[in-house]
This record gives sequence, C-alpha cells and structure tokens, in this order.
Amino acid sequence: MSAAAPPLSHRKAPKWLPYLLVSPTLVIVLVFTAWPTVQAVYMSFFRQYLNFAKFRTPTFIGLHNYRELFTSPDFLQVLKNTAIYVAGTVPASIVLAFLFALLVNRAVKGIGLARLGFFYPTILPMVSAATIWMFFFTPDYGLFNSLLETLGYHGPENWLGNPHLALLAVMIVAIWKNAGYLMIFYLAGLQNLPEDVFEAASLDGASWWTQLWKIAFPLLRRTTLFVSTIAIIDAFQVVDHIFVMTQGGPSGASTVLLYYLWQVRFEDQNVGLASALTVVLIVIMLAITITNFVLSEREGA
Amino acid sequence: MNSAKLRKRLTAVSLNALTAVLAAGWATIIVWAVVVSFRPSSEPLGRGDVWFGHALTFANYLKAWSLAPFGIYYRNTIIIVGMILIAQLMTITLAGFAFAHQEFWGKKAIFFFILLQLMIPAAALLVPNFSTIRKLGLFDTTLAVALPYFGSAFGTFLMRQAFLEVPRDLVDAGIMDGCSWWQLLWHIYLPPSVPTLVAFALSSISWHWNEFLWPLVVTLTERSRPLTIGLVRFTQLGEIGARWPLLAAATITVIAPLFLLFLIFQKQFIRSFLHSGLK
Amino acid sequence: MSLKQRVFSLAVLLLVLGLALAACGSKATSTPAPAATQAPAATEAPAATAAPKPVTIEVYYPVAVDAPIAKILNGYIADFEKANPNITVKPVFSGGYGDVKTTIQTTIEGGGKPPVLAVMLAADLYDLVNAGYVVPLDDFIKAMPNGSAYINDFFPAFMANSRYDGKIWSIPFQRSVVALYYNADLFQQEGIQPPNSWQALAEAAQKLTIPNKRWGIEWPSGWPYWLFQPLAIGSGQNIVKSPTEVVFNDPKVIAAVQYYIDLSHKYQAMPEGVQKNWGNAPADFAKGAAAMIVHSSGSLSGILSQAKFKVGVMAVPGKAPGTYATVTGGGNFYMLKGATPEQQQAAWKFIEFITQPKYAADFSIQTGYIATRKSAYDTDAMKAYIAKVPQAGQLKDMLQYAGAELSCMNLGKVRNIFHKYLQAAYNGQMTPEEAMQKAQQEADKALEMFK
Repeated sequence: MSAAAPPLSHRKAPKWLPYLLVSPTLVIVLVFTAWPTVQAVYMSFFRQYLNFAKFRTPTFIGLHNYRELFTSPDFLQVLKNTAIYVAGTVPASIVLAFLFALLVNRAVKGIGLARLGFFYPTILPMVSAATIWMFFFTPDYGLFNSLLETLGYHGPENWLGNPHLALLAVMIVAIWKNAGYLMIFYLAGLQNLPEDVFEAASLDGASWWTQLWKIAFPLLRRTTLFVSTIAIIDAFQVVDHIFVMTQGGPSGASTVLLYYLWQVRFEDQNVGLASALTVVLIVIMLAITITNFVLSEREGA
Repeated sequence: MNSAKLRKRLTAVSLNALTAVLAAGWATIIVWAVVVSFRPSSEPLGRGDVWFGHALTFANYLKAWSLAPFGIYYRNTIIIVGMILIAQLMTITLAGFAFAHQEFWGKKAIFFFILLQLMIPAAALLVPNFSTIRKLGLFDTTLAVALPYFGSAFGTFLMRQAFLEVPRDLVDAGIMDGCSWWQLLWHIYLPPSVPTLVAFALSSISWHWNEFLWPLVVTLTERSRPLTIGLVRFTQLGEIGARWPLLAAATITVIAPLFLLFLIFQKQFIRSFLHSGLK
Repeated sequence: MSLKQRVFSLAVLLLVLGLALAACGSKATSTPAPAATQAPAATEAPAATAAPKPVTIEVYYPVAVDAPIAKILNGYIADFEKANPNITVKPVFSGGYGDVKTTIQTTIEGGGKPPVLAVMLAADLYDLVNAGYVVPLDDFIKAMPNGSAYINDFFPAFMANSRYDGKIWSIPFQRSVVALYYNADLFQQEGIQPPNSWQALAEAAQKLTIPNKRWGIEWPSGWPYWLFQPLAIGSGQNIVKSPTEVVFNDPKVIAAVQYYIDLSHKYQAMPEGVQKNWGNAPADFAKGAAAMIVHSSGSLSGILSQAKFKVGVMAVPGKAPGTYATVTGGGNFYMLKGATPEQQQAAWKFIEFITQPKYAADFSIQTGYIATRKSAYDTDAMKAYIAKVPQAGQLKDMLQYAGAELSCMNLGKVRNIFHKYLQAAYNGQMTPEEAMQKAQQEADKALEMFK
C-alpha cells in the first residue's frame, strides 16, 4: 500500500458515506469469502450425507472427517497427484513462458502472429480447449500420437485411459494453455530491462540463450516470483479439463484436489468430508499467498 | 561477411525457425478445430485423414445448434457476464474512491478484510458457497452464477491505485469549486482512470465467459446454464459420440465471439491481462 | 487516449448497455405449451362426467429442452390432456439423469415442493427410497381393475430394479440393454457364425483383427461397470445381490475380468487397457475400424444410419456354450413425496396412459429405446417397424438373458470403488484377483453403515 495521504477531507460528504461506498464490496466478501470459510470449518466437524434420510441431519463427530481423510488411500493418492500436477505444470509453463517471451521480443516481421499463436489459449474456455485436445489424444488417429510417432515414439497411445499417462495428458493441456498467459508478464519485464542486456546477448549469437538465461532471467526474479504465484494458484483452482477429458480416471490416476472435492460433495453427497477437504484447500491456498507475500516483501517493494 | 556476423545471422534464422515451429504447434489446436468444423460429417476421421474432407460444409454448425439450445446458452452467458461487469464497475469504482479519497475509521482494517478475497480463491469455497446460494433461493438462476463476483477485491485495489495517481491539484481545485463527492468522482477521478476500468472489464469478461466449475454447481436447467456448461453437456449427448466435425463446430460456436473480439483488440486484451495480474 | 482506444471504450460501453437491456428483458419464461397434436385423440375413455377439479402435475424428464425426445413427449402429453381435460401436465426437461436427481434433491432440501413425477435411473432405486424422496406405487396398482396383469405385462428384466422391501417403487419407461453389435457382412465373408460362447467370441474377434487397421472388438471401459456386467452375468455371477451386498470377489466375477483382459493380451483382438471410447466405438464400428463392439442398445439407430454394411445385434455370449447375457439400464417413472392425493391420482393416470402399449411402441420406434411392455410388440405399428428394422426385435429378445443393473445403497460410492479397481485390473496395475478382493473390502466398508 502506498502511503500517499488522501486529500483534504471533504466537508460536504457525510461521515457515513465511505461506509456506504465500500459496503457492496464488503458484503460480497463477507458473504462469499469470510462466512463460507467459517462455515466450512464448522461443518467439517459433522457427519452429513445428503443421500440418506437418516444421515441427513448433521451429527457432531469431532475430528472424524479429518481422520478419515488422512487415512484414506484415495485422499493420499489425490494429494500425490496434486503435487505432481503442480510441480510439473508450474515450472514447465514458466520455462516455456520465458522462452516464448524471448522469442517474440524481437523485431522480426510476423512476430505479432507468433505472439498471437502463443497467447490465444488464454482467452479460450478451458472446456473448449479440452474438448479439442480430446481428439489430439485419441488413439490410432489422434494428431498428438501421429506427431509423437514421427518423432520416433512407439509407446502406448491410449493417453486418457492409461494410468501412467492420463495425469500427464491433463498436465500437457494446462501447460499449453498457461504458457502464453505467463509469457506476457515476462514480455513486459523484458521490455523494462535496460537495452544493453540484449546488446551484450546479441553480440555473440551462439550464446544468445545462455546469456539471456544467465542475465535476463535473474534480472526478472520478481517477475518469476509473481508468475509462479499465479501459476501455482491456477494449478489448484482450474480442473475444468479433467471434467472433460478423464473424469479423474482411470482408477483415480488423474484426480486432483479440487476435482476430488467436487466428487465427494456432489457425487458421494458427503457434506462433512467435503467441508474437511475445503478446509485443507483453504489452508494450502493461504500458505501459498502468505509465502508469496513474505517473499515479495523480502525482495523489497 | 565476418564469422561473428554470420553466426548472428544463423542464430536469427534458427530462432525464427524455432519460433515458427512452436507457434504453429501451439496454434494447431484452434486451426484443426476450425478446419474440421467444416468437414462433412459423412466422412469420418481416420489415420492420416484428419483435416479437410472432400467438401466444405456449414451443416455441422446447423446440426450442433439443432441438437442443443446454444442460443439460450448464449443469452445466459451474456446475462451473467453483463451482470457481473456492471456490478463490478460500480462497486470497484465506489469502493476504490472511498479508499483513495476518503478518511474513515477502520479504513485499513476494512481494506485488508476485503483483500481476503485474493487470498482464498472462490473455487476453494465451492461447497459452502453452494449451500449459501441454495439458502438464498437462487439455485439455478443466472444471478447465482454472478452474485459472488459482484464485489472484487482486486478491482477495488486497481481503482484505488488509479485514483491515487490523479493529481492532487485537480482534486483540490474541484473541492474549491464546491463539487459534491460524486461530481468529484465523475468529473475528476474517473476520466483519467478509464483505461484501468477498461483493462479490468476485459479481463473480467474473458474470465467469466470461460468459467465452468461454479456454474456447473449452481445451475441446472437451460434457464441459467451458460455456454461452457452447454458445451460439456453437448459433448456428452449420447448421439454425438466421436463425431469430431460436430464437436468442433460446437466448440467454435462457444469460442467465436470472444475470440473475434480478441483478434480485433489484441493489444488491449494483452494489456488488460497484464494489468489483471500485476498486483 | 488514442482513437482506437476511444472507439474501443465506446464499443465496451455500448456492449454494457446492450447487456443491461438484455438482462432486463429476459425474465425466464416457462416452456410454451406444446402445439403439436400429432396423434389423434387417445384411446382412453374421456374423464368422468361431473367436471372434476383441475389438477396440475409437474413431470421432470432427463433430456435437453429441444431434444427430439422432448418433442415426442410433448405430443403424448397433449394427447393425455385432451383425454383428461381437468389435468394439466407440466413437463420440465433438464439435461441428464444426474440433473433430475440433483434438482429434486435441492428442491426437497431447500424445503421446496418437488415435482409429482420424475423419470430417474432405475438403478437409483435404493438411494431414492433411503433418501425418503419417493413413494411406493402398490396402492395405485391395487386400485386398478387388473393391476397385477398390468405389472406382469412389463418385461420382468425391466422390473428387476423396481422392487424393494416388498413394494413396487417405479414403472419402467425409457429402457435399454447392453448389446453386442457385429459386422454381419464381415462375418459372412470370413465364414464366421455369431459367437455362442466366450471362446467363440474371442476366436471370432481374433480372426477379424487386422493389426493397425481393424480391431476384432471394442469394449468401452471409461465408465466400465455397465458394459462389464454382461461378462459377470455370463460367467454365472452378477455383481449385485441385495441392496447391501455386492459380489466383486467371486471367482466367477474374477474370471470375467480376466476374460476381458485376455481379449487384448491373449487374443490381441481388442485395444489394450481402459478404453476411453464410449463415443468413438460406434463411429469406429460404422466406419469398419472395429468388427464388433459392445455398446448400449440406444446406439442402434445411430449405427444403422452410418454403417454401410449389414449390422447384427445379439446378447453378449456367456462363458458356457449356448449361454448369453446382458444387463438392463435406463430410467423409470418415480412418484415423489409431498404431492396431494389428487395430484398423485392424476400422476398415476398419466403413468398408465403413457405406458399403454400404443405409446410404448411409438416411443420405442421413435427413440430406439426398448418398449417396456410385452403387448407393445403386438401392436401393428411395432410389427411393421420390426419388419423394417429386425434388429429392434432382436434387442427385445435379448431381455430373456438380462440381469439387473448394479444398484445398491450408497451407489455413487460403491460404483466409484468398483470402477477404480476394475480399471486397475484392466490396466494391469493389479491382478484381477487382487483388484476384486480390494474392491470387495472397500465396498463392504462403504455398505456397512447401511445394513
């Protein structure tokens, strides 16, 4: 927050005016962020199944839901999948984003088209993108397999049905979609760098990449910190493509946290367990945003 | 030509080639969808035959529209996105103004409280928010999809920053002239902040046009379902199967308006996304 | 601000205004009354002479608003209202089976009034009864002049998921079975007889496989329990026994899992692992990339319209020679709690009306679902149709081999457990034995609290 003092206070405005002005925003945050957080914590101590009359009334069961979660092999697999998903998509998107930014940050004819090519996935709905990607992953004649085949790949082609590939497939789609979005932040960062960085780099063409990697990337540390926060949060909250491509399968191999939360609440109708999962997710989210806050404070505003 | 120059030239050429290959690869997705959406459905795809058919046809689009009420989905998406946009533009302007221009007790605390929305993304709160919507009696309405977004911590923050950059002299002059608070907001604060507002609006439109999980949970029938849900339901219709031309046509139908808008106003879009990320 | 920016801001402003207007002008209007009166007045006698009190009943139905089935149903409703002028039927079409169930769930939990009737999955029986959403239908059936004849006219296989606790809870309406589709022209070319056992099926599939060009058989398994069930039944043990008892670890079930795996590993006649091709399989079959597929009977009309060869349908061969198996699926009419007695009477009248042989036959002809009543197949319309599309008759004949669809308490959870381990076995992550033992353990745990 910048410390600029607001102008002279305004005589004509009544005292309650500022409260009135912020009230709509405040009410929304209260009702849809603060209250639900409290409610989730509260409900996580209860057993409530909506599909059975006798378990529909919430019964207090203490920490049972949490105990059930952390001893359930399903949940442990979900945590593992989520970790792989985040640890895989985030760095990959960032490296690609940086590469793309470097490539399109050159004054070459037609570079605008390339920038467009990298960025356009950002404005596609994830479900549309995933629908098209389904075709690319089709065994036998899907384009992704054809491409891999020409590159000498002869492994399994059944991406979405294979337990070792399904998660990778949804990760590929996420990386494809995110890299272009993250690119624009690097692009903006690069454009703010002093000219001589690029001159030094372009003098010796062969080491173009190494130089930029060694000079520009470190200079863009703040951008990277920022970009990784967006990417991490995104990785936790976008599961749309899983609904379209794998429904979390096969055998739960591509089920990640938010998708699991949806399943427990809306398929199993288990409100208590879903609330406990919500609390887990909130804790993770808070940990990420607070870490980011601390790190960027340390970097110096 | 000396060797350094040659090398530089070679690097440039290979970088161009790399750029071209990567960009083409990235674009294949949409290009394929467009091409195949015009392929006659009587020619199923097969090994090595996945692009153009023997003719171009518009039939897939007509068929897609006849199988699912895309018109209604369009209407719902537009209503949802429109409601959110109008509400947000008002709430963030007013709140941003209060935080930038006015002093009041508890200002800092309230500001930080509002920023809570940035720390806990709405997606995580799906379950409790769903029961709130139900208790409010809003289940399966377009308002249910839109309501949680009527206030935006991020937008408020953006507008506050924009208003803080309005020169003090201008504001003071306005006050001297006896402007009321809303005249001050309307004539002095808002005009220089329009670009910020537009940037926020664009990213809000694209974000909510594309949203899936929240509407999936709070909508049920055609009376409130947006395009994204409509598309997914369409792909699951038994009769659709793997008729890719039909699926591609449906997908393009959903993408088209935003995509065209994006092609025309590419720079504004990119700037808006840049803004919306820079906190 | 540059010119372009100005123009742009203006455009955004106009868009916003336009949206505002659109938002104001579009209060959701209810579906317009059906204009169609395609069929002449119904055979049912007109309502009693003394003008009865007007009644309105809502019926939830799992299709999209303007899907063909919605139009067909609107026609039937118009007929019904003509025959019963005091009853108004308000259909609500809402997407899929899951949506109908969710709507009812949310309405009831929100303290609202659910519809009087709904078509929901036959397999959801126990969940619906245990949730306390539905009422038994026995009183209405008993009140009929020949209630037991009415019930006995439904194919017993379709009634399998209607009875619980000594009562009848639902009336079959939109039903299907699992079928084995085969390319009859290819069979003839290769001199292959329609298979009558697992062994024969595997050999036929093997013979018809051409590597990289054509699979002998495709058997989707992205959502696998339903298409798997004919194997278990054909092996001599269905996977469900009672509302609180599933049978996953019986040696016969394990043998069925092994057979599925053998089709790809041993005979190399089927794609390996989990086949995420529910939609692709009929397309592959129609274009000749698969010589046989196992799929829903509901895919028949789509396949017939695309295939350029003679299409054969039959039940899935069983393990022992000369045995066959299939499983039923689809939706039944349920009556929901909370309606007035008049509404319930009207609703029952509607069920009786729409399940008449005449309508059952017409619905089957127009949609491809199997007519639920035996007498529907005696109607002239149906006879003419079967003369034209003999496959439709063959699908009906398969009902004699049909077992009940997986249905038990806590169904969502139990089904997910079964899917998880069945797919693990298909994908070779576990042996069939190991996978089914684990599935049994977890399912038993999920069912324990409901015993």
